[in-house]
Parts: sequence; C-alpha cells; structure tokens
Amino acid sequence: MKQYSDLEYLKLSKWHRFILKIANFFLGIPMWFAHLGIKIWTYIKKFGIAVKDTFVDIYETFQNGDYKTRISFFIMGFGSLARGQILRGILFLLFELVFIFYMIFAGAHWLSLLPSLGKEGPELNSHYDPNLDAYVTVYHDNSFKILLYGVLTIFFIIALIYTWRLNIKQNKISQQILASGKPLKRTKDDLRSLVDEQFHKTLLALPTLGIFMFTVLPMVFMILVAFTNYDGAHNGFSNSLFHWVGLDNFKTMLTWTSGGNSYSAAFGEILVWTLIWAFFATFTNYFLGMFVAMMINKKGIRLKKMWRMILILTIAIPQFISLLYVSKMFAVNGIINGTLMKWGWIQEPLPFWTNPTWARVTVIIINIWIGIPYLMLITTGILMNIPADLLESAKIDGANAFQQYTKITLPYMLFITGPYLLTSFTANMNNFNVIYLLTAGGPANSAASSAAGSVGFTDLLITWLFKITTGAESQYYMASIIGILVFVVVALISLIVYSVLPSVKNEEDFQ
Amino acid sequence: MRKMGRILALVIVMSMCIGMVLGLTGCGKKDDNTTGTNTYDVTVWVAENAVELTKQQIANFNSTNTDGITINATVSAVGEGEAATNMITDVEAGADIFCFAQDQFVRLVNAGALTKLGIAATETVTANNDASSVAAVKTGDGSCYAYPLTADNGYFMYYDKSVISDSIVGSLEDIIAACKANGKNFSMQLESSAWYAASFFFGTGCVSEWTLTEDGSDFASYYDTFNSDKGLAAAKGMYKLLKSGILVDTTTVSVSDFAAATPSAVVISGAWDYTKAVEILGDNLGVAALPSFTVDGTTYHMGSFSGNKLLGVKPQTSPERAAALNKLALYLTSEQCQLERFNTLAWGPSNKNAQANEAVQANPALKALIAQSPYAIPQGQVHGSWWDIGKALPTAIKDSDGSDAGLKAALVDYENKIKELFKLTPEEKRAYTIIGDINGDTWSIDLPMTETSAGVWKTTEAYDLVAGNQFKARKGRSWDVSYGNGAGNYVVETAGRYYIQLTLTGDSGTIELIPAE
Amino acid sequence: MREKTKDLNHSSMKRHIGIKAQTHISNTAIYVILVVMSIVWLLPFVFIVLQSFRVESTYPVGYVVPQKWGLDNYINLGKTDFWHWYLNTFIAALATAVLQTVIVLCMSYTLSRFRFNGRKALMKFILILGMFPGMLTMIILYRVLADLGLTQQNALPGLILVYVASSGMGYYVSKGFFDTIPKSLDEAARIDGATRAQVLYKIILPLAKPIVIYTILTAFMAPWGDFVFARYVAMGTPSGYNVAVGLYSWLTIDQINSRYTMFCAGGVCVAVPVAILFMCLQKYYVSGVTGGAVKG
Repeated sequence: MKQYSDLEYLKLSKWHRFILKIANFFLGIPMWFAHLGIKIWTYIKKFGIAVKDTFVDIYETFQNGDYKTRISFFIMGFGSLARGQILRGILFLLFELVFIFYMIFAGAHWLSLLPSLGKEGPELNSHYDPNLDAYVTVYHDNSFKILLYGVLTIFFIIALIYTWRLNIKQNKISQQILASGKPLKRTKDDLRSLVDEQFHKTLLALPTLGIFMFTVLPMVFMILVAFTNYDGAHNGFSNSLFHWVGLDNFKTMLTWTSGGNSYSAAFGEILVWTLIWAFFATFTNYFLGMFVAMMINKKGIRLKKMWRMILILTIAIPQFISLLYVSKMFAVNGIINGTLMKWGWIQEPLPFWTNPTWARVTVIIINIWIGIPYLMLITTGILMNIPADLLESAKIDGANAFQQYTKITLPYMLFITGPYLLTSFTANMNNFNVIYLLTAGGPANSAASSAAGSVGFTDLLITWLFKITTGAESQYYMASIIGILVFVVVALISLIVYSVLPSVKNEEDFQ
Repeated sequence: MRKMGRILALVIVMSMCIGMVLGLTGCGKKDDNTTGTNTYDVTVWVAENAVELTKQQIANFNSTNTDGITINATVSAVGEGEAATNMITDVEAGADIFCFAQDQFVRLVNAGALTKLGIAATETVTANNDASSVAAVKTGDGSCYAYPLTADNGYFMYYDKSVISDSIVGSLEDIIAACKANGKNFSMQLESSAWYAASFFFGTGCVSEWTLTEDGSDFASYYDTFNSDKGLAAAKGMYKLLKSGILVDTTTVSVSDFAAATPSAVVISGAWDYTKAVEILGDNLGVAALPSFTVDGTTYHMGSFSGNKLLGVKPQTSPERAAALNKLALYLTSEQCQLERFNTLAWGPSNKNAQANEAVQANPALKALIAQSPYAIPQGQVHGSWWDIGKALPTAIKDSDGSDAGLKAALVDYENKIKELFKLTPEEKRAYTIIGDINGDTWSIDLPMTETSAGVWKTTEAYDLVAGNQFKARKGRSWDVSYGNGAGNYVVETAGRYYIQLTLTGDSGTIELIPAE
Repeated sequence: MREKTKDLNHSSMKRHIGIKAQTHISNTAIYVILVVMSIVWLLPFVFIVLQSFRVESTYPVGYVVPQKWGLDNYINLGKTDFWHWYLNTFIAALATAVLQTVIVLCMSYTLSRFRFNGRKALMKFILILGMFPGMLTMIILYRVLADLGLTQQNALPGLILVYVASSGMGYYVSKGFFDTIPKSLDEAARIDGATRAQVLYKIILPLAKPIVIYTILTAFMAPWGDFVFARYVAMGTPSGYNVAVGLYSWLTIDQINSRYTMFCAGGVCVAVPVAILFMCLQKYYVSGVTGGAVKG
C-alpha cells in the first residue's frame, strides 16, 4: 500500500479517498485485533489487581474495624444502624433478610436443579381410574422455570455480593469520618441527595430495572437456550424436560445437511438477501424521500401541507391494515392484475408474489411506499437548515440544480444523517412487518427449505427465526443460534461503518 | 458522599427486584377452577361459526346428563390451526377441550396436549364411528387420544357451470383449456399445501404411509413411493397445471376466488366452503369429484386426502374433572350433536348412524366427497415435517425444466428430505436391518442386525418364523440396497425359531436362517 | 477546465433568457409527479373505505365500488368483540403513552445532563443490547407473563408491562433533543439554589414540549399495530385481544369469507382516529424524527 503525504492525499479525488479509507480500514483489522488483545490483557491485569486490592481492603477493614464494623460482616447494615444512619441500615438489613428468606424458600431449590434442568418429567396419562374411566397426568419439574429462576437466582447472588462489599466499604468510610471528628450523613440528607446531586440515580432506577428484567434477563435466557435441546418435542414441562447439550446445536448449524442443503447454506442464502434488502430498502427510501422533500419544498409549489398530509398517511395508518390490503392487491387474481388484464395491457397475470425476483423487487417497491414519508419528514427539517446564502452563492457561480444538489445538498445531508443511515440499515435488516405482512417470506425456496421450516425467497433472518419458533418442530435452540448470529452480523456492520464514517460526532459539541 | 447515594440507589433497585422475584414465584400456581363438587369451569376452543351451536350443546349436556355434572363453559372462537399452535406453545394455558384438524394429531400427542381416552370411551368411539375416523384418533398401540368430530376433511372441485360444461368436467386438460379460453383462473393450493399437492401423486397410485411408535410420540418407519415411475407421471401432470399460467396458488384459496378481480372458474376446496359457494355462484355452482389428468397416454383420476376434524381434551390432573370433560367430549361428538352440526353448519358427520341420515346423504358437497372417495386416501398419521417437505415438492417441480431428468431430481430431493427426518447416525446408515411380515409386523418395523464379522450381519434376537413369511434385508433403513431371494422377498419354508443372517459377497447378498438353540 | 467554463456560460445565458419559462416547466413536472404520487398513496386507503361500505356481500371481491352501499358492516362490528378489543387497545395505548414517556424522559434527560461513573458503559451496553433481535425474547416474555398471571384474559396489563418495561432503550431521539438545550440554563438555576429535580420540572420540561409530545405520540401509536406479540399473550382468549390481533383473526381462512368487509370497516375505525391524531401532532413528530436523525 502506497503511503500518501498530506498534500498528496488532498489532491486525490473524493472516491479515491473513500476507497483509500476503506482499504485502510481492512488493512487495519489485524492491528485492530492486536490492539484489542493488548487491551483485553490490560483489563485482565487491572481486574486481577482490583480483585487482590478488594480482598486486601476487606481484610484490613476487618482488622482495623471496631465491633460495629466487624458485626456488619455478618449482619449487613448493623454498623449503619449503630452509628445512627437508620435508613441505610434498615435497607441493608432488609436486603440480607430477604435474600436469606428467598434462598431458603425458593433460590436453593432452583439453583440445585440448574445443572440438570430438572430430574423428573411428567407422567402423561399414567394413572387410570377404572371407576371414572379416566386417565390422569402427573406433572413434575419444569425445565423452563428452572432455567429462568436459576439465572435470576445467580443474578441475585451477584447482587448480594456487591451489596455486601458496599456495606463493608461504607463501614470503613464511616469509621474514618467519625475518627476525623466529622458528623455522618443522616437519613434526611440521604433522602435530599436523591432529588439533588444523586438525582440521576432516582431517575435511572426504574428504566434500568425494566431493561434488566424484560430485556437483559430474557436475552441471557435465550442465549443459554442455544446450549440446550429446548424445542417442541422437549418443551420442558408438558411432554419432556430439556437438558444441556453443550455445543451440539452449533455443530448442527455447521454440519447438518439434508439432500445437499444445510442450515449454514440456508443461513448464508438468507443473509445475502437480508443484506441486499436492507441496502435497497435504506437507500431507495433515502434518495427518493429526499427527492420528494425537495420537490415539495421548492419555491413556488403550492399546497405544501396537503402533499405532506397525503404522503404521511402510510405512517399514520397501522401497517397490518395497509400492507395486508396491498398484498392482496398484488395477488395473481388481485385487483392490479385484474385491471391490467381488463385494459388489455397484459395477457397473463404478472407474477408479483410467485416469481422470486418479482417478489423481491415488489417488496422493495412497496417498502418505498411505506418509507418515503419518513425520509420526507426528516429531510424537510434538515434541508431548511442548509444555509441559504450557500445555495445562493452557488447559483450566482452558475451551478445548475443538479450541481447544487451533488455539491452542496447531498454532502450536507450525508454528513448530518450518517448515523441515521446506519440505524435505518440495521432496522431494515430486522424489518419483520413489511416482509411478514406482504409475502410471509414466500415464494417458497424448495432448495433451502428442508433446513428448518419452509424458507422462502423473501425471508429475512428475522422472519426465518419467527418461522422456526412457530413452525412444525418449534426449534427454539436453532432460533436462539440464529438470533446470536444476527447480533454478530449487525455488530460487525456497525463496527465497520463507525470506523469509516467521516465524523463520529462528539456529543459535547451540541451543548 | 457520592458513594452513599449509590448504595441507596442500588438497595432500592434490589428491593424492587426482590419484590419482582417474590411476585414471580408466588403467582406460579393456577387453580383448577373447580368451583363446586360437580361443577367445572371449562374453556372450549372451536371454529368461529361453531361457537353459538357449541354453547347451546353444552347447555343441553348440562340439562340432560345423569351424573349431575354442570359445565360452566367459556367457548371462544379459535380456528383449528391456531388452536393446535396455541396448545403446542403452552399446554397449561390451552383450552380444556379444543377442535383441531387431523394433520396436527401427532404434534399434539407429542406436545403432551391430549389426554388418553378411558377404556369404555375408546370402545364407544370405536363402535360409533367409521373405520378411517377411528384410525385417525389412534396411535400405534391402539389407544385413542381424541374424538372424531367430522369426517368431511377432504377436498373436491367447485366449478362455474357457465365456463365448465358438464362434458369436460372430468378432464383436467379440458378444464384448463376452457379456463384459458374464458380468461378465468384455476384455484388450487399446490405450493401452499402438501395436503392438496398429494392429489396428483395419490392419483397415480403413489403412497406415503407412516407408522407410529407404540406410544405415539414418534414415527417408527415410513413407506413412501413418490420417487418412482408413478411419481414421475404425477409430477408431469402437476407440471402442466403449475405452468398453465392460470393457477391461483395461495394459502387463502377459497370459493371467494370465484369473485376475484380475475375470477376463477374452478376452486379445489372442501365442504366447509359450500354455503359461501352457493351464495357466490348461485345456480352456476357445480360440485364434482376431482378431474382426471393424462400423462403419456394414460389417464389418472386425481386422488385426495380424506380426513377428520377431531375434538381433543387436555391432560388433567384430577380424575373427576378428567371424567367430566371426557363425558362432555363424548356428548359433543355423539350422533345427535353431529347431526345438529350438519344441520346448522353442513359439517359432514363421522358417526356411522349420522352418516346414514337421508339429509346427510343428499347434501351436494358431501355427495361430491363420496364421489371422490374411491380415489381418496385416508389421512392416517403423517409426520409433522412431511407437510413442509411435501409443500416444497411442487415448487421444485415448477422450478425444474419439465424434463424427465429434472422432475426426477425433484423427486429424489424429496425422498432425501424424508430420509433425513429419521436422522440416522452414520452407523445406522451403514447397518442392515430385516423388514417384512414377520414377528407380527407388516413391513413397518426394522429389526436390528449386528455385523458379526466383515460382510456378515446377524439379527440380535431369534424370531419365531412361520412358513410363508416374507422379508428382506435392507441397508440404512431405505430400499436403495436390499436383498431377499434374488430381487424378490425371502420366503420362509419351514417354521421355527431362527436367527437371520446376511452374507455379503460383492454386489449380492445371501440370506440364511440359523436355527436358535 | 476551459470546456466546462464555456458550458456554464452557455447555460447561464440560457437561464437569463428563459428563467420564467423554465421554472414554469419544472413546476408543472413537479405537480404532475405529486398528483400521481398522491393517487398511488391514497388509492389503497380509498379502496379499503369503499369496501367497508359494501353490503351486497361479505367476501373479498374483484371490484372496488360497492353495488349496494350501507353501514351494515359498521353496525355488525357491535355484534362482535370488536369494541372490546378497541377499548383494550385504547387503554394499552394510553397507559403506554404515559408510562413510556415518563421512562424515556427520565432516561434521556439523565444521560444528556448528568456525568456519572458508568454512564458511557450504560450507553454502550444499551447499544449492544439493541443489536439482538427482539423477536428472540418473545417466547420467554410470554412465559414470564404467564407465570405472573398476566396473559389470556389478563393480557392487557401484561402487554402494557412489556411495552413499557424496556422503553428506556429508546432514549436516543429525546436525548438528542435535550442535548440541544443549553446547559447554562441549568447552571444558572443551580446557582439560584434549585435542586436538580426542580431544574427538571421548572426549567427543562417546559422547554421540552415538542419532544414530550413526540414521545407520547409514538408510544401511543405503537400498540395499535402489534399483531405478533399481542397474539402470543392473548393465547386464544378473545377477551384479551387487541384490535390488530382481532382483525387479523378475521382474515384467517375460516373467517375471511364472512368477515372481510367487516375487517375493512374495523380497519377504518382504527385508522381514522389514529391518523387524525397523527395529522394534528405532525409538527412535533417532524421535530422529533429530525432531531433523532441528526443525532443518530
């Protein structure tokens, strides 16, 4: 790779620079990994030191502690209570009591079953009552609950350890403050700080708790499912329990074949289409939306509000109504084919949903119908911010409309909306609604479909995932693996784009 | 001081977690909803149009039953497909009694969503319903897991008399030509459903038979001849329709296609559509058995599946409740209720006495089903994944070039996918097994063999063989490599207790019977 | 270079001559495009409305203009669970709008205004979390709700809980907005002795009206279109359906022929109020999406 000096670099054309940037990015990957390795090693070292320090600190606190501190090692919050910090003391103590109570009555049970995910499956139709002529079923363990509450219990234990550590630290600090002759904070002060300097903790408590309970915990659960045989035939409760299977599912993903087809081949095929779809869905909307916004904003065009109103109908009306109807309009015997045939424009119906290429193009086009209005609204706002004198001086210099667009408007837009393009690309990769409502993934791809459910030519990874969980065999573990792979792909794309983007904005700039 | 605040915040968050956890574990148990000794709260899922009738029938049950049982029912409109999906997703939350189509039977047994019928109930069901309906609710060991509700789950042809004249109604080719000439479509699910796609294959005499294991939770073996010369003829016939350019093939094919923008002149559908078909086409409505198609000079009548809608009861933990629910299900599928259902909804009965009823025999849709019945294959039990594999076959046929080689490739691919269902280990693929009408079996169960020395395979057990018994040894549980007496079956000459031994020499194998000591 | 200059001169000359005529032509072209687009955009909705007034038949047909007009389909909605579903959805939308707005504002305001340990880590963590497909957690969220007894007939609170719980992850747009409010305002107030909480209530919130309305609007609209998760949570209990699940069930093979025109009528009943609300608050929506797009 040729090294360019600054001057030489500036002389290069834009495209050349862009290509250079991308080339540098890829050439930099080995270095990046090397840096990452060093970073990780530093972190590990730091962590090791921190752990050592923590243990030393705990030991010293015990050594130097008075009886209040020492008892706090076993009864959390004792020190705080004894030193008059009632609220803190009660909260610490309460947490410990609840933890003990929980572990005795539930936690220990779940934890003990976690390694096996349950011992006894249901006894289906096992007991016959001859007088009543009826079979009875006896249910036992529930693998699903064991996994869920087992994970929750582990989180709970980690939280206890963390809180215990805080409790120790606090005793140490309180002891030091008292030794230096200053007063401790009282309950009133604590409460006041929660609406003042500690206000952010009050504000974040609820949102982060929600995210933890309803996103983090389910995610951890679903990632763990990839290492079990949880599926329709092992639903964990009503037919048979599921168990840990290690890396078997990942092996299946890589090697399982059927008549020359495999999960990995199906995955590859769907991934390629998902990326093509996301690319077109993002950029057709982006440029056409910008174009429409510029048309409506043009001086001398009347009824600006009305045009906008009409277009944003597709945002305002729920998609399951509009897209389902549109899907029917494009059917073989739908109104579009019917009308075209009546007018004599075509002899045979157009295969909108039955030919793979037609179906793929049609979903992209209909997605324009859904997507343009968003982009129109966004660009309208941004276009108004382009300094008017910039465009005016370009005009005076003799630039025509097209030149104004490519030299001023487009670069400005791209600069401002760079991050939006990335989020919109990944959102389109996971655009379940448009595909599911329009084609439900069809037309069928007979070559790929033997691997897990019926795969179609317009299936995205996300609709495939949905089909696998709801399909004939409900292979939750495969869905989980695909979910993990989707994450990897999205993360990789984000990483690349962030590295290439001209400016990753410094958020402080705006304040 | 920042640290203190953090502690507080953390403790608050944690105590909320605790609350959540306690809440979670506390609310786990659900009541059995048993309000009184003989009163039961029951949820029932039936198709939307049957809700009112079912409510009425349950009221009748309450007033007429002699055991003093009162059913407090919540009847909800949940379609057959969704009911099965819901039951499989969460049996606990599922309805106590639900209606489903036969193709979901094995999946539901598999999911533990069906209770086994008591001995007396099994006898009643067996005695009162026709043979194929009884087969539809039984697993390998003869236990019943559901109640037959209808026996009309088959398909036939609705057509527009103004386009299709009576003289061409029997020929698929003529019908397609007439549709084309009049700018009309032909509605039939092929790529959208294996249930319909099988029509061409059954027409040429192909079979796909599946044998359940004894507990009904899985399949022991299959016998599928789609990949054969007959199958090739069927594929050619189907190819003509797939490529006709007038085929409407979506999951929503129904008689309303007669009223679409480009109307269909033919809709292949079932008895459930009859009332609407009359409303849409009026006097122009024709109802007939499926037509015949001609391939290479031979004419084949299109076949079909005939099956049932079934009523299932969820497994129960209390015997009294289980008994009450079973009584209700038995009542709902009785002759009287099936006739009521026929009168209000035109659902064809599975009960033998109800089938004999004059009005039932006169119903045009059911008549068409009867006309189709010589060509209909009782659905039996089919592997859940077969519906996906069978659905992919028409697509492969459509995507082929239509030549013998292209169509054959599609059929081979189909067969490979079926083989894969059994997920044989490499050892199993290599191993030989004995299959035949021996040991009380009829060509459905593979008897294991072990390799005693290189090229010599011997059964692990000795079997009591009777003179005239026939069997073959086959490799990898498929018919690609098999040995009997030359190309034919090995026939037992002298009765006795034998081990069976296969000796491989080059391309041929020799079977010997080794008397057990 | 020389060539290009000549070109420019040429075109600028031309512009001087025919500037009015040119503008006229291009404006006409734009009007034509806009009219065509408007037709394409409106047509499906007009068709749905027309179908909803068709009374001669209930199944899907190949023509658009009814042969017999009437309100039967709307009246018949009253004979089904439709209005119950409607109420369910409305309550869910309202509750979600209020709770989600509170949570999103808490989250975004904090991340915009406070600098504390772990802030960057939290933002990164949420970014990474957002890269997992949400579809994956559907089955487990259903199970958790089922365990809490919040499914089937109790689906409504369960749905609200799920809609609201993780909404903190969608803080980007409003954080972008808060970032544009100068920090000096806060600081001045703090010097005057206001607590952080008072700063939020008395100074920031009044300024943040557009983003509050944007958040309310988007949160209110989302529950109307949820037909996947809501169907899971209702698990075959019609009293727990929302409109999307209910109307979707009318399009299944066993109901479509008798309920199709009612589906259209129901669709109109859902779409009209939501669309009107959206149109009225459009201004705020624009400021929201624009801000969001700029800040990423």
